[in-house]
Amino acid sequence: MRARLLAATLTLVTSVAVLVAQSPQRATGASRGAVPRAADGKPDLTGVWQGASNRRGSWEEANSGLGVGGTGKDPAAPANPASQQVITAPAPYQPWAAAKVLESFNKRGIDDPAAFCLPPGLPRLHLVGLFPIEIVQTPRKVVLLYEYMNVFRTIQIGGSHSPDLVPAYLGDSVGRWEGDTLVVDVTGFNDKTWLTGTGTFHSEDLHLTERFTRVDKDQINYDATMEDPKVLTGPWTIHTTMMLREGTRVQEYACAENNQDPDHYERLLKEGIGFKRP
Amino acid sequence: MNRTVRLLLLAAATVAVATPLRAHHSFGAEYDVNQPVTVSGVVTKIEWTNPHSFVFVDVADGNGSVTNWKFEGYPPNALYRTGWKRDVSMKPGDKITVTGWRARLGGNLAHSREITLPDGNKLFFGPPAGTGDGGNTPAVKVP
Repeated sequence: MRARLLAATLTLVTSVAVLVAQSPQRATGASRGAVPRAADGKPDLTGVWQGASNRRGSWEEANSGLGVGGTGKDPAAPANPASQQVITAPAPYQPWAAAKVLESFNKRGIDDPAAFCLPPGLPRLHLVGLFPIEIVQTPRKVVLLYEYMNVFRTIQIGGSHSPDLVPAYLGDSVGRWEGDTLVVDVTGFNDKTWLTGTGTFHSEDLHLTERFTRVDKDQINYDATMEDPKVLTGPWTIHTTMMLREGTRVQEYACAENNQDPDHYERLLKEGIGFKRP
Repeated sequence: MNRTVRLLLLAAATVAVATPLRAHHSFGAEYDVNQPVTVSGVVTKIEWTNPHSFVFVDVADGNGSVTNWKFEGYPPNALYRTGWKRDVSMKPGDKITVTGWRARLGGNLAHSREITLPDGNKLFFGPPAGTGDGGNTPAVKVP
């Protein structure tokens, strides 16, 4: 029994070692600029960033591959920063909830709340590389402006959550500095968003802890731990990076303008078209 | 908690899997990677709209019959960042070639990928096939 446990442990640890070795380096590139500091000495997160990327440089330089949002000018460049970059464990869903996630996956995400132009939730907004995110930092508040769906949130620094929160798509954020890391406690969520990829639903009991660490001029390490006792079996942590995109501006994105996809989805379902993968 | 259990928990918490997370919502549900399509024709209309843009192309079949194709693509912001200039790069009347994938619903609807412009330049008007459909691996283990 002991031998079997040991063998199982070794297999698991070896697999993990291989997977970790294959996962992308968080820091890439040669020149590392110093972390800019605010007047109060804290790292200044202010700037326009691209989530789910680990490439340095301007938006154009960092998005030259063949992946989503890439120009294809350099076909040898990483194909899709988003798909390669996000490091996550298989999500620890309770069995009944895992079945629901799979159901959505098997329908190719046709039930994505974002397809209806509703605000994408957290941490998903940080895992989308196609649209930039602007951070504006002051000593009392850090404001995040997301181009995707044109949603925003304010992180109050210090204090506690209001006792009368109404369930919200992006919840209520309260931050504190732990050394050079901004730690954000987010609660007060509704249950209408996905956490990360296709079908990753949650309940109103979702509790999110985010850690923003600007490790040099170009890079913020973003770590998010999700807890939801109604849906998950335990904490679920993901890690990704946000890269500085000097010269990029956050623009308007009025999603409801010409959204034809829900109508297409409705017709697909009505006509019983299958979504079998190749 | 003994060392082995702690190690196992740590291992479980750090198993690394690359999960495709793409924007916007599912093109992969609407369009079929197994039905690639390439058409050449004349641009009749461009909708630079959110959440997605559309380009309409009149395609002649050589027998006097013309079909108007509709191609879905990136939102204007993404087009801007991939090198498009609205009302400059492509205008109604331009002769272009579009590659993409046909809609599962059939008809003359497709998801665009690359457009070859009158001067021979090529720009991506849409993302690769399968975007937003969850990729090949679900977020949970398949029982």
